[in-house]
Order: sequence, then structure tokens, then C-alpha cells
Amino acid sequence: MERVQIPTVALPKPLQLSDTRVFVVTKDNFEEFEKEFTELYGELAFVALSMKDYENLALNIADLRRYINQQKEIIVYYEKAVTEKENGDEIK
Amino acid sequence: MLRIYVLIFIIAILGSIGYGAKYYYDTTQATIATLRENNVKLESAVETAEQSVATLQQDMVKLGNLNKELSASLQKAEAYGDELRTKLSKLNLVVEALRDSKQLEGKMNGASANLWRGLMEDTGGDGNRPNPQWLQRPGGTGSESSNQSGKGTDTNSGSTETAPTQ
Repeated sequence: MERVQIPTVALPKPLQLSDTRVFVVTKDNFEEFEKEFTELYGELAFVALSMKDYENLALNIADLRRYINQQKEIIVYYEKAVTEKENGDEIK
Repeated sequence: MLRIYVLIFIIAILGSIGYGAKYYYDTTQATIATLRENNVKLESAVETAEQSVATLQQDMVKLGNLNKELSASLQKAEAYGDELRTKLSKLNLVVEALRDSKQLEGKMNGASANLWRGLMEDTGGDGNRPNPQWLQRPGGTGSESSNQSGKGTDTNSGSTETAPTQ
């Protein structure tokens, strides 16, 4: 039986992510936050998220991470299926 | 005269028998040769079929093993989200924020840093990049629970349990 040789391709460039910083602000520390934030960034302009929305954002990112990892595992599966012999040796 | 006719008849009969025997012999030999060729072809076909069956069986075993590995890997990929969901369901972030906003902030920032590094590592990048200075700063924002190694805090949770980066 003739086997079709399917070449594997290079994986995409790894993610290069930047760090992000959040501030937890309540009515008790708002003034302190205002001062610290203005010292850090110059202007008092920020994006606010409720705790619920923050949770949703975290869960969304976790789901994206799950999807990326599962997609990666499926690619590995196909790569092994087309390149590996049963004994684990790769077809040259 | 009659003897001559009888002789001719006998010769004709013998000739016919001889020709028939020769024809039968040739035909039989040709058939045997054809059958021999067919046999060789059939043996070759059987050999190919047996090899194909063996290859298919090997492929089935291989794919079965790969499927098992894939199922385990897919299940493993669910772990982070499941763990996070469980932690969030046990926590009330509003209460945590009102209790100690700096501590929660530190945990959130530490967990975010871990998450970004975990994602970079998952995609083949460098997951050991040092944490930003503001996260490492002793006593500063995010210092309370964020660890120096970039591991060990869970995303937006109020606990200090470790969240393994995959």
C-alpha cells in the first residue's frame, strides 16, 4: 500500500504578550488610587471593570487558552499520524 | 482395392487421433502456462493484500494510541478553566476587595502575569520572562501575593494556591 507523504509545516510564531496591570479600587482607597495612578500615568483616565466583568474577562481568556491548547494538541496528533511509524521512529 | 481404402481410413483415423492428441497436449500446456502466470499474479496480489492488511492493522493500533493521547491532552487543556471556574465560584471578589484591596490587586496582577507567561509558553515562547518591576516591588502594588518566579498565584482569586501554567 502506497503511503502519501504529507510534509509538516512550521508552527506560527509564539505569542509575545505584554504585561497588564490592574488596580482594585474601592470607596476606601479611591483617593490613594487617584494619587498613585496620577503619579504613575500623569492623567486620571482609566478603564473600569466590575468584579463580575473581570471574572468574565478571566474566564473568556481561560477559554481562549483552552482552545489554543486543544488546537495545538490536535495539530500534534495529525503531525504524529502522518510522520510517525508505530515504533515511534519518524519517517525520514 | 478395398484394402487400400481400409488402410487410408485407418491412417486417417490414426492421424485424427494423433492430431487430436497433439491439439489436446498444446491446449493443456497453454492452459497450464496461463494458470501458472495467474497463480504468480494471485500470489503477488495476496502478498500485497496481506501487507495492506498488516499496515492497516498497524495504523489502527497507532491511531488508537494517538487518540488516547489526544483525549488525555484535550482533557488536560480543560484543567485551567475548570480550576479557575471552581475558584471563582467559591470566592466573592467584591467582599475580597472590600476586605483587602491591595492583597486582591496583588493576586490579580500576579495571576495575570502568570497567565500571559503561561500562554507564551504554551505557544512555544519564553514563559520564564521576569515579572515587571511594579509586580516585584516589595510592598508595592501586587507584591503581596505575586511571586518572584512568575508562578504560584491563581487568576483573580483570593487564595494563594498555585495555578499550574500549562
